[in-house]
Amino acid sequence: MNLGDSLRGLREFWTEFSRVKSGLVGVAILFVFVFLGLFGQWLIPFPDAMHHWQDITYWEDNPQAAPPAWTNWFSAKKGVPSSDLVNPKVDVTKGDNDVTIKAFTFDFHFRYDLAPKDLIVKLAGNGPIPAKIEIDRPDGTVGEIWRDQLNLAPGQPERISLSRSTADGALNFVQSQNQDIASTIDPTLIKPVTVMFSKIAPDMETNPVALKGDYKIVVTELIPSSDYSIDTPTIEVSGHVSGILGTDKSKRDIFTGIVLGIRWALIIGILTSVISVVVGVFLGIVAAYFGGAVDWIVTRIYELVYLLPVLPFLIVVSAIFKPSIWTLIILICLFFWTGSFKTVYSMALQIKEETFVEASRALGSGSWRIIVKHISPILLPYSFASMALAIPSIIVYEASVSLLGLGDASIVSWGQILQAALTQGAVINNLWWWVIPPGLSIALMGMSFAFLGTALDKILHPKLKTR
Amino acid sequence: MYGKYVLRRAIYGIMMYIVMIFVYSTLFNSVADSTQRSLIDEQVAQEALGWKNLTPAQRNVRIAARKADKISQYHLDDPLPSRIFFRSVRTLTFDFGNSTTIKASNGDRLVIGIIGEALPRTIVLFTTEVALVTLVGVAMGLYAGRRPNGLFDRAVSTLTMITNGLPAWWLAMLAIMAFSYNIPIFPSGGLHVNPAPTGFHGILDYLWHLSLPLLTLFVLGVWSTAYLVRNIVLSNLQEDYVMAARARGVSETKVLFGHTLRTSMPAIMTMAVLGLFSSIAGNIIVEGIFNWPGIGNLYFEAVQQNDVPILMSTLAIETLLTMVGFVLLDIIYGFLDPRIKVGGKA
Repeated sequence: MNLGDSLRGLREFWTEFSRVKSGLVGVAILFVFVFLGLFGQWLIPFPDAMHHWQDITYWEDNPQAAPPAWTNWFSAKKGVPSSDLVNPKVDVTKGDNDVTIKAFTFDFHFRYDLAPKDLIVKLAGNGPIPAKIEIDRPDGTVGEIWRDQLNLAPGQPERISLSRSTADGALNFVQSQNQDIASTIDPTLIKPVTVMFSKIAPDMETNPVALKGDYKIVVTELIPSSDYSIDTPTIEVSGHVSGILGTDKSKRDIFTGIVLGIRWALIIGILTSVISVVVGVFLGIVAAYFGGAVDWIVTRIYELVYLLPVLPFLIVVSAIFKPSIWTLIILICLFFWTGSFKTVYSMALQIKEETFVEASRALGSGSWRIIVKHISPILLPYSFASMALAIPSIIVYEASVSLLGLGDASIVSWGQILQAALTQGAVINNLWWWVIPPGLSIALMGMSFAFLGTALDKILHPKLKTR
Repeated sequence: MYGKYVLRRAIYGIMMYIVMIFVYSTLFNSVADSTQRSLIDEQVAQEALGWKNLTPAQRNVRIAARKADKISQYHLDDPLPSRIFFRSVRTLTFDFGNSTTIKASNGDRLVIGIIGEALPRTIVLFTTEVALVTLVGVAMGLYAGRRPNGLFDRAVSTLTMITNGLPAWWLAMLAIMAFSYNIPIFPSGGLHVNPAPTGFHGILDYLWHLSLPLLTLFVLGVWSTAYLVRNIVLSNLQEDYVMAARARGVSETKVLFGHTLRTSMPAIMTMAVLGLFSSIAGNIIVEGIFNWPGIGNLYFEAVQQNDVPILMSTLAIETLLTMVGFVLLDIIYGFLDPRIKVGGKA
């Protein structure tokens, strides 16, 4: 077959394929998945998440179990979406004796009904730095809520969570505004961030009303001498809603997890099905072609594997040997080659008797040459359809093993996300944004391959199209 | 002639079963040995508490002797092949023995008792589901096959492809979230409310707990069965005798039910029989999510607690049933189609 022939064949195939609508839908979905799998790295908000998925400190600035940002459209009380405040306005004041005072002013437009869960100020630099944090409220009041001496060292940034370390500052602020209201607040239960973003009112502890408007958060740092330095601080707003798909209980961004999972689902699905179909086709041809003892042995192995219950077996082997993802792929292959074996076997039995095989043998071709050159090319198109059709259940098997906590914990797969959801009570607590997206991704990817495989099957086996 | 064929299939099935038990036994060998050894250590330490009037040296000697005794009693000092062999033989003779940690509800550790407790629950859920799915699926498949590429046929094909890659356990999670927490009309899992009601009320309560898992599995499973039946029917509708029947003026309904359904029966029956036999294994994850204490749940509990006798016995029973299903089908085929038993190769 020369290049022109194969191009023409490809074009004919495409004309026929484009008539099967479900096949086109499958290819379209698959295309989106492949695109996200390849370039998703640059679209997700946490690009290094792949290596830090299990790392608690990497995720510590996110809110816990926050619903997706777009849920605000449907809820009566709008929550603050999580965001970063960067590029503050800088005011530099030179003091005596080489002292420099830098004030960083962050604008925060607060238009929501619920105060942020937390504000995290990140300070980096080098040296003993006294610092303070003030909040300028839209009602004109100013509260200095935090003041301390920091010992900063390069590479060890200081992380100040306002909800944890500003209880005294917030109480002082309320006292400076209204002594009576302050006396109603229990100092051990005070929620400083809520206080700072609420109206000063008699029942502000039990029923806070958000004070909407433009806030200014001023971080002032004093640099004792030119031996020392500071970097520009940043503030992370930890809100009630977060990102495209929310966060889980370990504060991980679910959208990031879903996008990272695409890559593994594609790798697991495609690699496993290609290996197992190639093995199945090869063994089917070999058994049919050689017959006799080879046939007997291969068929007995086939029957043995066919009878083994797949999931119980995978679970028990995973529990005993704790496989990595690559071992798991090989394990699944051990079961899935049977899927294409029987059909190929019976097809190869027929092809083996065709005259062109006989002619080739008469011309002196060896067995392997006949298998590779004459029989395999006829069965190859069939194997593409079975590859695509095998992928959905392969992905489900990996997800099932992961769901039981027996998968490879070093990868980010949809099964791993669902396992965390199941064990940490996402179902009971109705955290739907943690349960629906990973399962839907599994279903969508399975569906796209099933559409593709069925379309291929329809073209290659036109018998089932009409009656 | 037919008797000889039946005998040959049965012997072949039994031999396959024996080989598979050996495979399981080899797989479980290392786990079983380490679990058994730690169990012996525990037992001997317990016994040693009773030996009061011994010097520490005598005591240690006696502990070592007891351990050696027990180890030889459980064949742990035998060479590896013989250990695998004896475990296989015990399983093959249905001598399942005691579990290592899991107990039945009456505190008994007899494996047969534990499995006997879990099996009916799985049958109630999964065998009912397979039976329902088969009945409704055949009806739907026939209906879809009557008008290929019609609206219903395309719906069945599309839904089959969608449910193909849909994990049943995920649908179970969604079902619980939707119908147990958001719209609380079904319980989230378990067999009955606590304390269990008795009499007629108890039956109603059991059915109420059964409905959500049953519905979930049914909604997921029915499409692929319908699609399979549709394909079987369609491929038979292309046979010459159907064309001949149509040419004779036989009505379309009669062609479908009289001719096609009849020739499709062996394939549909294969599907049904294998489905029913394999339903006994339950579903490990779905049972876990619905907290349904059947065979699947028992199996996973055994995996977590390294309870090899339970693992070995559940797998053996499941495999035996599948094997019986296959052999039974072969025998029925041989009866229906005399060509098979002569050719030997189906």
